[in-house]
Amino acid sequence: MNFKDIRESFRNKEISAKELTQDSLNKAKKYGNLNAFISTFDEDALKKAEHIDNNFNDYKDLALGGVPIAHKDIFCTKGKRTTCASKMLENFAPPYESTVTSNCHQAGSIMIGKTNMDEFAMGSSNETSFFGPVINPWGESLVPGGSSGGSAVCVAANITSLATGTDTGGSIRQPAALCGITGLKPTYGLVSRWGMIAFCSSMDQAGPFARDAFGCAALLDAMASYDAKDSTCAQRDKVKYEDTLRNDFGKLKIGVLKGIDQLGISEEVLKAYDNSKTVLEKLGHTFVELDFSELSSGICSYYVIAPAECSSNLSRFDGVKFGHRSDSSNISDLYLQTRCEGFGEEVRKRILIGTYVLSAGFYDAYYRKAQKVRRMMKSKFDEFFKAVDLVFLPTTLDQAFEMNRTSSDPNRMYKEDLLTIPANLAGLPAISFPNGLANELPIGAQFVGNYFSEDLLLNITHKIQGVTDWHKITP
Amino acid sequence: MDKIELKNLLFLARIGAKEEDYPKIIEKLKTTFTMVDQMNELDLDHFEPLNNPLELTNVSRSDSEDDRNSKKEFLAESPKSDDNFFVVPKIVE
Repeated sequence: MNFKDIRESFRNKEISAKELTQDSLNKAKKYGNLNAFISTFDEDALKKAEHIDNNFNDYKDLALGGVPIAHKDIFCTKGKRTTCASKMLENFAPPYESTVTSNCHQAGSIMIGKTNMDEFAMGSSNETSFFGPVINPWGESLVPGGSSGGSAVCVAANITSLATGTDTGGSIRQPAALCGITGLKPTYGLVSRWGMIAFCSSMDQAGPFARDAFGCAALLDAMASYDAKDSTCAQRDKVKYEDTLRNDFGKLKIGVLKGIDQLGISEEVLKAYDNSKTVLEKLGHTFVELDFSELSSGICSYYVIAPAECSSNLSRFDGVKFGHRSDSSNISDLYLQTRCEGFGEEVRKRILIGTYVLSAGFYDAYYRKAQKVRRMMKSKFDEFFKAVDLVFLPTTLDQAFEMNRTSSDPNRMYKEDLLTIPANLAGLPAISFPNGLANELPIGAQFVGNYFSEDLLLNITHKIQGVTDWHKITP
Repeated sequence: MDKIELKNLLFLARIGAKEEDYPKIIEKLKTTFTMVDQMNELDLDHFEPLNNPLELTNVSRSDSEDDRNSKKEFLAESPKSDDNFFVVPKIVE
């Protein structure tokens, strides 16, 4: 069942919150081989479900009332283990709750567990987790994408109908595409980052996963709120995204990229993209060709700015205040050994890159230059949105790939984010949705919208899903 | 980047590594910088650096007390602490 059916069944008393929760917990165990979860909370989840059933009238009208959910293990949950998929936080139980999980809790959802991910959200294949890789339900040797791979798999395998993720360079949209589900990266600042373990603070943004735009809208309704505890959180009037799905935004001008076939995108993905353009035309929308020759420089900028911010953010993990600590007899060795043992290889590498680009003599050559590229990206999108309502492009270059591909070409993994990174650099919202199947594997495409146009992104995806079935196909 | 530069960088980042792993680390860093160096081909003179996509103004909170930072709770998270302090190896000989 998708989210809408689950919520309706609960509201109509056809099924209880406890039955729904038990079903999700059973599936989490049944599909344990996918390694989608780092922790599950059976007892607490069933207890909350019982409470909801006993107080049905208080929960029946809430956005997520009675619905089981899984949260990426990057969100702090008070008293419940939060690892960020790192040995560094293997036994960390935060003393406070993130705003995202708190909001979802208040909206009536039932957290069944915390999902696996790339360590500290650094990766595009979910292979860097200390707790082992996540398996794509579409093929046992395939990656689910990353970094929010566990959450995407959880929804793709129908363990829960909703899951939360975070997207710093594509970490919601890329796994959504590779797993055949819908995922939204909101505008930077729409969702509070309080209690979300920081990787790259100027780009990190939490967002929803669901099978379709309807589920994403309902979950975003719960997640988004102004939060004084996050000074980058935007103070705006609350929008009810679920209601805006019924709006008519009229005939849209949609930007498509000139020379898109020159970017190294696979034939299958391009074919699905062209098919989606036909669907959009049938819905009455028109296309405007855009020149975005600067697109590929986004990766260069991202792989300077994100490591720079990560090297700063991860300096808090020193073995003194919380997390893993190495046995050392002097303080210097304690820092060195704790961070060597506690962080995996990819995280250590990114900290080194970040430390290098911020060090004396290299700041202008790398960090400042990367920030200028970031300005260029933002200016480019500002220019696009004077001419078009949305930009439409594939989410990924290819479909789900085999594990261990990194070993032969490390930069190939970074290029995985080519089409997703520009929205993060500019802070724009973007939604990925399933738009085809080839070689029995799903394909995704994405819309990038102007700032705070989540209503439009969800609306157009909802309209497409009203006339296509790609989002209904399961592994 | 040579071994001495890497040794300095590792210390600056406070990350321990065995010397026998240095060539492998240098190779991986070089691969990334080869990709990143493509930025040098761009003409960026007329772009100002961008720190934050929304260029938000800073927010201040009222100067009021709250009970968010519980010393007891935070010390309990530490790998080693006593009633009032984080405990670390002796710093001053």
